Amino acid sequence: MRFSETLLQLSSGVGYTALVTVTCCATALAVGLFTAAIRRVFPLPGIVRVIDLFTFVFRSVPVLVLLFLVYFGLPEAGIRISPLVAMMCSLGIIAGAYLCEVFRGALDAVDATEIMAAQAMGLSRRQVFVHIELPQMLRFSVPGMVNEFTNVLKYSPFAYTVGIPEITKQALALSAATLHGVEIYLATGILYFLVYRLLLVGVRQLEHRFQVPGIGAAHLQEQSI
Amino acid sequence: MALFEIRSLRKQFNDHQVLKGVDLDVMEGEVKVVMGPSGCGKSTLLRCLNRLVEPCAGSIRFRGEEVTGSGVNVRALRQQIGFLFQQFALYRHLTVLDNTTLALRKLKGMKKQDAAERALHELDRLDMAGHAHKHPAHLSGGQKQRVALARALAMDPAVILLDEPTSALDPVMAREVAQLIRKLHSERVTMLCVTHDVEFASAIAERVTFLNQGLVQAEERLCVLQNNHEHPAIREFFMTEKRTP
Repeated sequence: MRFSETLLQLSSGVGYTALVTVTCCATALAVGLFTAAIRRVFPLPGIVRVIDLFTFVFRSVPVLVLLFLVYFGLPEAGIRISPLVAMMCSLGIIAGAYLCEVFRGALDAVDATEIMAAQAMGLSRRQVFVHIELPQMLRFSVPGMVNEFTNVLKYSPFAYTVGIPEITKQALALSAATLHGVEIYLATGILYFLVYRLLLVGVRQLEHRFQVPGIGAAHLQEQSI
Repeated sequence: MALFEIRSLRKQFNDHQVLKGVDLDVMEGEVKVVMGPSGCGKSTLLRCLNRLVEPCAGSIRFRGEEVTGSGVNVRALRQQIGFLFQQFALYRHLTVLDNTTLALRKLKGMKKQDAAERALHELDRLDMAGHAHKHPAHLSGGQKQRVALARALAMDPAVILLDEPTSALDPVMAREVAQLIRKLHSERVTMLCVTHDVEFASAIAERVTFLNQGLVQAEERLCVLQNNHEHPAIREFFMTEKRTP
């Protein structure tokens, strides 16, 4: 079996890997944004404690354990969910807990005087968050978000355990059938690398599109010049 | 007519009493300058006026209405009071134009086009219209302070509070800001400015209120305060300022 044929056979799983990664990243983004926003806009001790507990618990649970709990445990309680939703509820939420911490750090980097200036003009707390803090926070968070999205991609092979035919599942099947393990897993690594590059190109393009002088990477480049 | 009537204003942070009963009036069309050493409560006084800091006791009447207490619409009050920070506080992610139009669109409900026209008018008044599409990172300190002033003026406030507007500027830019304030004063814009920059204070007002340890110590012509005043704290302040290059 030629290497190119191996690559071609495995590539049938790329679409599923991309689907799992994109849906889990979207879930993580929604969970991370929601929790970070609530924590920031309503900093009541009770709310802060609940969100901190959420991030603490979900950051300490292994992805596979939560995935099995959701996918095999919930049916016992009469709730049946698809493999993709199980991935979103495990990997997506765990990544969301990490993103919440990334966003919290980025929010602390927003200049307090800018926030005070906006409040001094009469903007409400919600308006200050939406128009001043959020746009800057997202720009400050790019390196942390890229790290987390990369982690999601690397944890996506767990999807094969619940029956999603992504790249690793294809590799396992092909390896069992042909016994050409080294060649197959080398091809698998190359495919993951390509998906990672694609993800990175997308993020960089977004970063470039929303680049602002004085914030983030552009700011550092200017300083070094 | 007095725009602000401040009586027995007190503010305490934990055990530290910052304002110990300040009495002050700001008249319409006036440029009032409050001077004093660092930590005397100048900035806290300004922040109490638009409720960025909650006073502990005392009274603040704005246009005859009491603005302390819980029944006051604080956001509506703030819309009538412009505020200039020493570090300019421009929103880094927005262009000069967007910095100036944000509050117009979100608070006054103006359409984007109308807000831009209004903002450009104010920027033009302060010679900043040519920089409308730049980001704050590309402006000098003096230009940033002009934009901050244009942003405040665009809301058509009854008064502008200036918190050490020249402390982050070099002397040339500080003079520029002083010129600007004189120009606005000639247009009957009411301003209350706190500063410890004697040159700047002398450029924008004749009379100065001296605040020391949370109390108004004197309200005199600046030259009177500068010439061996009877109060030791005032004497020491102006001697130190003379020595500072």
